[in-house]
Amino acid sequence: MAKNTRGIEVAEIIPDKCIACQICIGECPVGAIELNSDGVAQVDPEVCIGCGKCFESCPVGAVSYEKKKRKKVVEAKPSGPDVEGRGHSGVAVFIETADGLGAPVSWELTGKASELAKQLGTRVLGFVVGSNVDGVAREAIAYGCDEVHVMDDPLLGRYFSASFGKALADMCAEVSPEILLVGATALGRDLAGVVATRLETGLTADCTGLFIEKETGLLLMTRPTFGGNIMATIFCRQKRPQMSSVRPRVFAMPAKDPTRKTANIVSHAFAPPALELPEIVRFIPTASQGGTDIVDYPALVVAGRGACDQASLPLLEELAKLIGGVVACSRPVVQAGLLPYERQVGQTGKTVAPRLYIGVGVSGAVQHLVAIQGAGKIVAINSDPNAPIFRVADAGIVGNYQQIIPELIAQLRDKRL
Amino acid sequence: MEEKFDAAIVGGGPAGISAACILAKRGAKVIVIERGEYPGAKNMFGGVLYGRALGRIIPDYAQKNCPIERNIVESRVSYLSEEGSISFSYRDQAFFEKLQNNAFTVGRAKFDRWFADQAKGFGALLVCSTVVTDLMKDGAGRVIGVKTDRAEGEVRAKVVLLADGVNSPLAAKTGFRPEARPGQIALAVKELIGLPEEVIDERFGVSGANGVTNEILGSVTGGMNGVAFVYTNRRSVSIGIGANLADLARQRVRPYEMLERLKLHPAIEPLIKDGKPLEYLAHWVPEGGYDSVPKLFGDGFLIAGDSAMLFNALHREGSNLAMTSGRLAAETILEALGKGDLSSATLKGYSERMKESFVLKDLKTYRRFSSLLETHGELFSTLPKGASEALRQILTVDETPKKARRQTAWEALRGRVGLFRLLRLVFDAWRAV
Amino acid sequence: MHFAVCIKQVPDTAEVKIDPETNTLVRAGVESMANPYDITALEAALGLKEKYGARVTALSMGPPQADSVLRQALSMGADDAVLLCDRAFAGADTLATSYTLSKAIETLGTVEPVDLVLCGKQAIDGDTAQTGPGIAARLGLTQFTYVLDVEWLDPGKRRLQARRKVEGGMEVISGPLPALLSVELEMATPRRASLPMLIASLRAEIKVWDAKAIGARADLVGIKGSPTWVKAIASPQLHRAGPKWDAAESVSAAVSAALGELFSDRDFEAGFAKGWKAEG
Repeated sequence: MAKNTRGIEVAEIIPDKCIACQICIGECPVGAIELNSDGVAQVDPEVCIGCGKCFESCPVGAVSYEKKKRKKVVEAKPSGPDVEGRGHSGVAVFIETADGLGAPVSWELTGKASELAKQLGTRVLGFVVGSNVDGVAREAIAYGCDEVHVMDDPLLGRYFSASFGKALADMCAEVSPEILLVGATALGRDLAGVVATRLETGLTADCTGLFIEKETGLLLMTRPTFGGNIMATIFCRQKRPQMSSVRPRVFAMPAKDPTRKTANIVSHAFAPPALELPEIVRFIPTASQGGTDIVDYPALVVAGRGACDQASLPLLEELAKLIGGVVACSRPVVQAGLLPYERQVGQTGKTVAPRLYIGVGVSGAVQHLVAIQGAGKIVAINSDPNAPIFRVADAGIVGNYQQIIPELIAQLRDKRL
Repeated sequence: MEEKFDAAIVGGGPAGISAACILAKRGAKVIVIERGEYPGAKNMFGGVLYGRALGRIIPDYAQKNCPIERNIVESRVSYLSEEGSISFSYRDQAFFEKLQNNAFTVGRAKFDRWFADQAKGFGALLVCSTVVTDLMKDGAGRVIGVKTDRAEGEVRAKVVLLADGVNSPLAAKTGFRPEARPGQIALAVKELIGLPEEVIDERFGVSGANGVTNEILGSVTGGMNGVAFVYTNRRSVSIGIGANLADLARQRVRPYEMLERLKLHPAIEPLIKDGKPLEYLAHWVPEGGYDSVPKLFGDGFLIAGDSAMLFNALHREGSNLAMTSGRLAAETILEALGKGDLSSATLKGYSERMKESFVLKDLKTYRRFSSLLETHGELFSTLPKGASEALRQILTVDETPKKARRQTAWEALRGRVGLFRLLRLVFDAWRAV
Repeated sequence: MHFAVCIKQVPDTAEVKIDPETNTLVRAGVESMANPYDITALEAALGLKEKYGARVTALSMGPPQADSVLRQALSMGADDAVLLCDRAFAGADTLATSYTLSKAIETLGTVEPVDLVLCGKQAIDGDTAQTGPGIAARLGLTQFTYVLDVEWLDPGKRRLQARRKVEGGMEVISGPLPALLSVELEMATPRRASLPMLIASLRAEIKVWDAKAIGARADLVGIKGSPTWVKAIASPQLHRAGPKWDAAESVSAAVSAALGELFSDRDFEAGFAKGWKAEG
């Protein structure tokens, strides 16, 4: 396998096999493939990022790309000499606040940060930005932060990209963490890009897995891409902090220990940005139903065309509640006006990765299937034994869901502690 | 819109693009209106093109990287019963050397895009994702342009070439030609089966860039009027089967089931064994023959390709006729533009050119072929079995005297079909072909 | 006023079809398309242009064939289109992309200052939603993310007010120009081009700018300017083909068997029993 000058093991086209169908050209995310003068595809090795998308898409097996070697696509060097700047240490978590409390995702990330810090032999740092956030700082210690850095200023009472962006970037510059984790909430996604740009560091958004590579101490971040068609593992080689945003409920909530008092709280002064900040005119809360983001739930009961009637919804909701999730649906159910678009799973709806997915009357069109690939366990209930969903399910039940679901509810009740 | 084109071509398939190439090359202002997202998005064909037809439109097609799959060096015709197969094949050294690219296979998606790029290169304007909804006519009934489904979607043109295929809502709406009857339409389904190049080479006895076409007749269509084919591409085999739409509807047969049956036939199965299905397509084929060809022109318009029902049912030539008719239409349009007369008086020159060309001559020659197939149902039902049994008798080696064996063979055949019917068939077939 | 709209060309992943009869994938060549969120941003820009008067420039960074998304922008009504195309741009992550786009917007501004940059909330292939905020941070623009509607735009006071999606509801926010809007699909329904506009877009010359044309530093664009590296790629398992049970004979037996299969994974069983809390 050839490597380019950046050490990436690149894909190569086998000219004899290439049929010049150009599928790979369309698939290549970086435009590294062109048809050459012989009329076959050719990869520019310096542009190729070794993602293997061409390999996946080639209908005739004309791309040589070693699957087994994927784990070693890049020989990452030890972080020491390669890293720009010195003295970066600590795994930092941006603690998002809402109504004087830390957001659950921040504590989930604190729990993950403790794991990562342990492997690296370093500390967990809580970064709290806001106004009157003493309580949150103490909460951060209870969830496992070894050190909490606080920027408390009346100007930070309301979230704005510009003020929070500058505050968090300044804090990173002062504290020099090696890793910064941000919850991929609406606020976090707004903020992370600003901070990464200000710090000129790499950011990997919406990660579903974080690991420390033993040999190098680098943070390895996995995330779904291409609408969930591919899982990519990404790392940030030279720039610090290594930044990652993670969606809520990807990691488990750690136990809270209010007696934990070993940590320091360090105050930092806020230097407001020169820019004029916007002004919030009003806030319109959404009615409770529509505000549900199905992506946030660890379990989903998904109604499909085969369970598309108003009368069944209470039954599905009962099951959803029992498994700790909500009711979502496939496209026909939205088209029938039974559930809002926000509840739609699929290529045109949402990509979901719950721990448990129960499809009820979902036939399993490809557009739907690609959006549930990240699910932990898939259970399919359908009256048609040939429904494609069974092929992606971990377990399937063929029959009438109106009989099956009550039984399922009854048997699952016994499983809960 | 204000702009006026010399020619508006409805449909970006082989007929329309052929005409666009010829017209644009000679400096005419041409617009091609295609309903698919890109040319070829809604097209399907068997996969064989003819070098001569293409060469008359783009002489240097080989140098211009025309995406040729394999040069055809051998043509087979097989006659299948349920279990047996009788084949004739013709291979000629000339096809390796002198007659390179006499016939060759192409992949539709690649070829159509390449072909459309050539037309664009000559200066034709290609507008996709746009449906022609109506013809514009002046007070005298002369076609002066087309209407499309876009805002401000009228296109004025001196002449309109209708190359929108056999299934034409425009024909239904405007009546520029009679709508095809189910009996004149075949539904063809095709599957592309991926195989390693070496495996194709070995199974078909070819090497490198050379390939084979195999036309198949017989009982594979379940007693219906239809034919099948197997063509070699570079790294895939096209296998398809078509049957008359009226028959399919009557017998309630699903075309893909027919295809599955064909794929399992003992003569076919080894050819595609262990292949990976890549693509499945279905398309209408106009197979009414000479008698279904409508009047090819009117005041301000011409009809070409499948839209004009130009299809040679025996030789499975559709795109060849489409490209040639597109070229002849373009030549007629150029002449008419030169004269400044786009009335039917000049445009009837297209009809004359077509009559002079192989297109209509061939269709006329095979005029009776369509009706032969319709009247002699035994060709697709009892005869294949009879013929197979006869040959099985003759070729089985045991200790029966040869003469006795020939007698049994003859009886096998006659028992199935009847002597008079057999003679009649031979006579009709000779007249038709 | 001058609006710049950033449009990314993405693979049309919805193009993958399934044959209903054989249930096999049909892959008749995967097409490229304009990111739907970005086309919504363009439509929003055109709507604002019609209401307040402005010049709309469409920008795309990509290979030469990405000019098709710019032609689409022109056919819908963009006044101008620029393709940022340079070998050096390839392999960019969000940091390098936002740098390249902001350099291009600066370059556009030397002719006529850009008052508003519009982009989609995210691209459907990467889903990162980070390029917009990156551009805003670099150019010092007021950042409006997840925008559902622009309530008003005052060219005189140089201010706009927008409604945006936030956690638990919507927020109406006003701020100074120049600003960046990253838009939700609900904001606008893209128009279908008229035939004359479509024809004009096919004939249009698309400006192509390379790194030099936008004054971009070679070490900050493309793969060189990208701090993140792809280490490994894996396909998520699509086919699991677990067992299935027919409930026709006994519903309870089928359910019990299916749950038995599910909970044969001990970690999963434990997670479920604890209501998905405190694990992993």
